[in-house]
Amino acid sequence: MCFITFFFLFMFSMINLIFFVYFFMNDLVIMMEWEVISFNSMSIIMSILLDWMSLLFMMFVSLISSVVVYYSKSYMSSEKNLIRFILLVVMFVLSMMMLIISPNLISILLGWDGLGLVSYCLVIYYQNFKSFNAGMLTALSNRIGDVFILMSIAWFMNYGSWNYIFYLNFMKNDFSMIMISSMIILAAMTKSAQIPFSSWLPAAMAAPTPVSALVHSSTLVTAGVYLLIRFNDLMLNTFFFKILLVLSGLTMFMAGITANYEFDLKKIIALSTLSQLGLMMSILSMGFPKLAFFHLLTHAMFKALLFMCAGVIIHMMMDIQDIRFMGGLSKYVPLTSLCLNISNLSLCGIPFLSGFYSKDMILEMVSMSNLNIMVYFLYYFSTGLTMFYTIRLLFYTMINDFNLISIFNLYDEDYTMLKSMFILLFMSLVSGSLLSWLIFFKPYMIYLPINMKLMVIYVSLIGGLMGFMISNMKIFSFNKFMFFFKLSNFLSLMWFMPNLSTYGLNIYFLNFSKNLLKNMDMGWSEYYSGQGFFNIIKNYSVFYQFYHMNNFKIYLFSFIIWLMMILLLLLMI
Amino acid sequence: MMKFLFMIIFMIPLCFLQKMFWMVQMMMFFLMYLFLMLNVNLNIFSNLSYVMGCDIFSYGLILLSIWICSLMIMSSENLFKMNFYSNFFLLNIIFLLIMLYMTFSVVNLFLFYFFFEGSLIPTLLLIMGWGYQPERIQAGMYLLFYTLFASLPLFMGIFFIFDNMNFFMMYMMKFYNFNLYLLYISMILSFLVKMPMYFIHLWLPKAHVEAPVSGSMILAGIMLKLGGYGLMRILIIFQEINMKLSFIWIVVSLIGGFYVSLMCFCQIDIKSLIAYSSVAHMSIVIGGIMTMNYWGFLGSYILMIGHGLCSSGMFCLANINYERFHSRSLFINKGLINLMPSMSFWWFLLLSSNMSAPPSLNLIGEISLINSLLSWSSLTMIMLMLISFFSAGYSLYLYSYTQHGKFYLGLYSFYMGVSREYLMLMLHWLPLNIIILKIDYSMIWF
Repeated sequence: MCFITFFFLFMFSMINLIFFVYFFMNDLVIMMEWEVISFNSMSIIMSILLDWMSLLFMMFVSLISSVVVYYSKSYMSSEKNLIRFILLVVMFVLSMMMLIISPNLISILLGWDGLGLVSYCLVIYYQNFKSFNAGMLTALSNRIGDVFILMSIAWFMNYGSWNYIFYLNFMKNDFSMIMISSMIILAAMTKSAQIPFSSWLPAAMAAPTPVSALVHSSTLVTAGVYLLIRFNDLMLNTFFFKILLVLSGLTMFMAGITANYEFDLKKIIALSTLSQLGLMMSILSMGFPKLAFFHLLTHAMFKALLFMCAGVIIHMMMDIQDIRFMGGLSKYVPLTSLCLNISNLSLCGIPFLSGFYSKDMILEMVSMSNLNIMVYFLYYFSTGLTMFYTIRLLFYTMINDFNLISIFNLYDEDYTMLKSMFILLFMSLVSGSLLSWLIFFKPYMIYLPINMKLMVIYVSLIGGLMGFMISNMKIFSFNKFMFFFKLSNFLSLMWFMPNLSTYGLNIYFLNFSKNLLKNMDMGWSEYYSGQGFFNIIKNYSVFYQFYHMNNFKIYLFSFIIWLMMILLLLLMI
Repeated sequence: MMKFLFMIIFMIPLCFLQKMFWMVQMMMFFLMYLFLMLNVNLNIFSNLSYVMGCDIFSYGLILLSIWICSLMIMSSENLFKMNFYSNFFLLNIIFLLIMLYMTFSVVNLFLFYFFFEGSLIPTLLLIMGWGYQPERIQAGMYLLFYTLFASLPLFMGIFFIFDNMNFFMMYMMKFYNFNLYLLYISMILSFLVKMPMYFIHLWLPKAHVEAPVSGSMILAGIMLKLGGYGLMRILIIFQEINMKLSFIWIVVSLIGGFYVSLMCFCQIDIKSLIAYSSVAHMSIVIGGIMTMNYWGFLGSYILMIGHGLCSSGMFCLANINYERFHSRSLFINKGLINLMPSMSFWWFLLLSSNMSAPPSLNLIGEISLINSLLSWSSLTMIMLMLISFFSAGYSLYLYSYTQHGKFYLGLYSFYMGVSREYLMLMLHWLPLNIIILKIDYSMIWF
């Protein structure tokens, strides 16, 4: 099952590669449309757009997913419902493809909603409370994005078609286009976990590790970035992109700091993904969609590899993810450590690994652009933080002493996992340079003073040094965090975002719904219709029954009243 | 049109033969396919004969009612096995089908009223006769009196209209315009109760909770759609006054839809949750119809059909659980993915259709309704967003509470899903997601 799926996905990836080269060389774009319905001069169209960008992205997605499927043959080998798992992954890849190829707001829903739903199924794959909560958080955060896309469909109605690529330049200053662009940005921010919505990404690490490698590093979370790359023409130099720039810069900064407080191996990697997503979003909002796309692709490779290494380590550590128990792995499991190191260093942008080409170019373009000091600070400080948590992670897992148990036998001979990792290892070595030669046929001209040019190296060195120092910290030094207890709480809990988006928010809605149920459905609505009406009728009938008991006193009394009334009538006449 | 009616009527003797339970069901399917072949002119009333006729709108709803009625028989196999008055059950369903068929196919306003109210009686008998708990008496009373209370003004209104127009024909009504406030209220209110709008929806959860599975299916599948059908037919003569007063219904139903979808989070009974979710969906339908634009009408039509299939399927699922656990509480129906993994798949598919995931009819319907409501006023966006978001919320809540986690340990024995159930669920789900491929038959009316 795994192998067949791997084979087909891999072949699909190669076909996409060939088509990418062909389309790219000849500068071809193919657009296919199927008109679902057309009326009132509006047409709902299922459209497919094949250009070099979508083909290349599809190639990367199918390559990573094929490798991940092959990897899960070993990782999920003791899973009882392996077929369910593989089917879910394939469904996920399918929805991602639908998202990539459709430039239509209605037909993109097929991929966009599908991603949210299938990733929900994948996150709650394990039957425990943590994954239950994480899945709900993931699905509902993504649903916000779905809702925004639904609303932007309604705003798009004025144009008569939902093929957004035709209207991006043409209708830029239209009011409904402004509404649309704000909603599309919000939708993209939910999928790509930018700052108000970023709590779901670390929570989604409750999913099985192959899922994290595929879904929460390289495909699902980049869907938002990809959508904004497509929408880039519309929002260039607008107010929304400025807001997005600040928010994504803060996301990068926040994730970088939080990763330094984290001890969970997968969460550190997830936070680094969040940080890189912030980087992509911010460079995108500055108007360099190609650079964002380039970083998206290289990042997909090394981040998937990083997660897969983490999976191997978790397997051999008896399902323990805490990095304080790890250490000295470079001696015991050299091949896995090799992969981990290369992907980690590629994340930091060490020269000539794949991350270097994209990240260095992004940072230099930032230095070239007209920006204020705050954005510049966010970019460079976050770059330093990346080095910081990477080196910390390396020292914790690779160099320090092994802390788990005294008698242990770590193995590095799971060749199914290793083979699949080596494919990605190769790709994360070469993909940066290859892509930079391929997709930038016109090189960017960068002209910087020496200190700004060397700024990346300065911050990286400082960050690396800090990471080295913090990884050797002893227990009494940890207690110094107590001096800044509130601050470190704030920073380590992702600026309280998980609390704000779960317990902080839902309690109001749940209380409200409880009150509604008690006051409206079991209260006033019942009082004024069902039970209240019943009570009125019942009381009257009881009252009349009381009359009909022929009580002598009431009988006489009513007789006298009648007499008096007749007398009064007579008198009036 | 009359031939189909006769076919249904002559299915009545079949109910009283022994061991003919499935035969009736098969005949209903057969009827469904015969009706599918009916040559319908999509734009205007066609197949007119005596008092009957159909356009695309009634055509779709008749198809839906035959489909749901046959699936009702399929879902209540237990009655047949236990021999729990299965003959009378079939008779009841056939009566119900006759009523529904006539409601949707007559073009005479009074006869429409007659069958509209007449369909209550078989439903009431279903709830009273085959329900589970003693509270079903009260639920039946709620069902009957909520709808009857508002229907007498409708009766008066219809005769007032007859007094003015001197005929009852629906297809001539578009030449008239009644700009009368009281007439408008009296004609609308009955349908709003049937839909149900917020504030007057209390009968629906009660009836659902007490009804057997077939009762719930027909209630969610068809009875709610009667209201929408009636509204769309009636509003033609109230175009002018509806322009002035429609905001009341839209505001009440949209805010009510949001409130109801919040209330879903407090439900612990699966059926009651599904019932509340259908109130939330119907609220958007009311909004769409009341905007009186093309998108709104066809969106409500599509959402009504989609919701009819989807919620009926979910009630089937609830009943499948009920037959195994003998409870519908979310605290007992837990961890089902461990016990019935394939059924969990169907839960997910139907619940995702309920939260309008593509490519279901609900999605197209919801998109059209959002379009119509947003073009009516952009302020409705807030409520629509909340409704749409929370519809995902309660669907996932239901899915994860029933399917995820540890299963109930007090469970003594258990059996897997049988192929009848899978077939039944597929017959719900497949049309829901396939019709979108040829959606223009149901979208282009005029």
